[in-house]
Amino acid sequence: MNMLKVPLQIFRYKPGQTPGYDTFTVEIPATAHVIDAIDAVWTSHDHSLAFRRACHHSSCGSCAIRINGLEKLPCVTRVTDVWDGRSQVRLDPLRNFPIVSDLVVDRADFFRRMSAADMAMICEAEAFLPFTVDTFAVADLEPKLVELPENFSRFTRFEKCIECGICMSACPTMAADEKFLGPAGLAAIHQARKKTLDPVKVEHLLGLADGEHGVWRCHSAFECTEACPQAVDPAGKIMALRRELIARRFLKMLGK
Amino acid sequence: MPDWRKSVCRGFINIWSLQDNRWLAGTPRSDDDWATKEGHNIVPHVLIIGAGSTGSATAHDLAQRGLRVTVIERGEVAFGTTGRNHCLLHSGGRYCVTDPESATECIEENMILRKIMPDLLELNDGLFVAITEADLVFKDRFLQGCAACHVPAREISVEHALAVEPFLNPKILAAIQVPDGVFEPFRFCLAFLATAQENGATIRTYSEVTDLLCAGKNVTGVRIRDQHTGKQEALKVDLVVNAAGPWAGEIAAKAGVGVPEIPTAGVMVALDCRLNNLVLNRLNKPSDGDIIVPQRATSVIGTTSWAVENPDLITIPPEHVDRMITQGQQLIPAVKKVPMRAKMAVARPLIARSGIAARELSRTFECFDHERDGTNGFVTITGGKTTTARAMAEKVSDMVCRKLDISAECRTRDTPLCSYRLFFQQRGSRNQSFVGAPGDRSSGRECFR
Repeated sequence: MNMLKVPLQIFRYKPGQTPGYDTFTVEIPATAHVIDAIDAVWTSHDHSLAFRRACHHSSCGSCAIRINGLEKLPCVTRVTDVWDGRSQVRLDPLRNFPIVSDLVVDRADFFRRMSAADMAMICEAEAFLPFTVDTFAVADLEPKLVELPENFSRFTRFEKCIECGICMSACPTMAADEKFLGPAGLAAIHQARKKTLDPVKVEHLLGLADGEHGVWRCHSAFECTEACPQAVDPAGKIMALRRELIARRFLKMLGK
Repeated sequence: MPDWRKSVCRGFINIWSLQDNRWLAGTPRSDDDWATKEGHNIVPHVLIIGAGSTGSATAHDLAQRGLRVTVIERGEVAFGTTGRNHCLLHSGGRYCVTDPESATECIEENMILRKIMPDLLELNDGLFVAITEADLVFKDRFLQGCAACHVPAREISVEHALAVEPFLNPKILAAIQVPDGVFEPFRFCLAFLATAQENGATIRTYSEVTDLLCAGKNVTGVRIRDQHTGKQEALKVDLVVNAAGPWAGEIAAKAGVGVPEIPTAGVMVALDCRLNNLVLNRLNKPSDGDIIVPQRATSVIGTTSWAVENPDLITIPPEHVDRMITQGQQLIPAVKKVPMRAKMAVARPLIARSGIAARELSRTFECFDHERDGTNGFVTITGGKTTTARAMAEKVSDMVCRKLDISAECRTRDTPLCSYRLFFQQRGSRNQSFVGAPGDRSSGRECFR
């Protein structure tokens, strides 16, 4: 097995102590992902390193950090894609979240936003395959229509959004308004709004989006869409909400 | 009813509901809340080691029965085996011929999980497909096995199977539909733990058990190190439940007792796109690379099976990854065209039986009361699948209650779980508040009682 010796510079912070960076050199297979490198630090160098991980295939959203300054999921980022072979690979926790310890951030307020939007995690599926996060990015595979199994009214699927918080970290507005609902929160409102016909719920969701910390706060930097590992396109969803809100205002002015 | 009786009854109800409110507070509690003025515990305190699926479900079960529960986990929730599992909500079909005991447990729990966490399951069923003549010969045994284990199974035509799954190998000879499903392990655990927290449980992540406190041969608590602060601490409890999965043997050794368990690793490969709607299985005995579980925008091929010494040090053998890709192509030929998104390996906690190879070991679970080894105050729950986590929790909680002389019934079969989103909210800083949407499942309390 082809092995690499990769130097990592990892952000360290423990409550009550001064934050700083620690450097470790880990030996990992050339095909390893960044999460494997972090795991190697934890198992063979420093067991007090705090980090999150669970699914290892970009489904749980727990491991999100910044790698060389850019928000990424270390479970699907290969070491060779972020390492130039010489300099250190820098690992930082997400921005715009309170830091609990090392690479672990406090996600309470983030999940409070997601609860406010109350987007169901399970959605109806498109009736074609293959399904990719960037639709049909996969080479020479024609999309094919799919028939539902007997006795089935629909296919179900987990939402694209894995609630990793990467968009919240990439968003420049988050730093200016800490109560901003954020790209994930607003995208979730958009999804929840699409799924419901209940006028009370629609009114509430659009009210949240139209509020002081809603869509009008967004500077349209589109950093969220750029960073999202799941192609949720939060910025696009924010723009769609804005269009709907403007349309409703016009209709109101016309007395409808 | 005479008036005086009415008022007595009402009095009792009032006292009852007052107490109830105390338990319902849903806020972290201090030692004082659980103790009398003299400092005695009024409620037995049970400590669970491990916040994987077993530990999480056990925390929910015991907290709902009214016990004081503390969970200790060295990493984040689902940091170990549960996090990296195959995400398959088993129908039992996979084990109905070779391991009927496990198959029966799976279908029973499958149906219960559909009731208690409907928002966290992709329910598109699964297909067992025959590719070779040998597979076709297996079909009758499979259908008999399903019938014996009460796994609903029905044969569908090859044409229909290919219409449902356009990327399925067009050469298949037969297809059988079973109620497989897909979950998401992290949120699976969070939902159980959020509900446990609502019922007063304390979940301490990033706390590693460094030692067990012993009085003679009996276990009386644990010594833990908080990875955030570096502080060591001794926790005295009434009973310790060892739910550390493949690390259970390591924990039990600290008490000088053994657990007959073999950590058995398996490799999984996730693809860059989703090629199937249903879970696809090879219609034969379980073997390497014979199952493709779709989830979100990916398909995950699994798995292999080899015994490991240390579950923390698993190197993924490159040939296992290659085998996943080649075997996966037998089910879906397009697998070879799709880039690999991720690969992972983790150890399952299988219960050792003498003279049986890892692949053939039963996937069932077992609960060990270490009183049999002369050690009181310590039980181990291990083996099993994430699908059967709730049943494992019920079994170990029954044992815990028997040992502590408590007569509380298990109610987890019919209790819908809280939203997983509550888990972090209950714990984090509360400097901002957002109003929940009307009908918001996560803001309602009524869901968990």
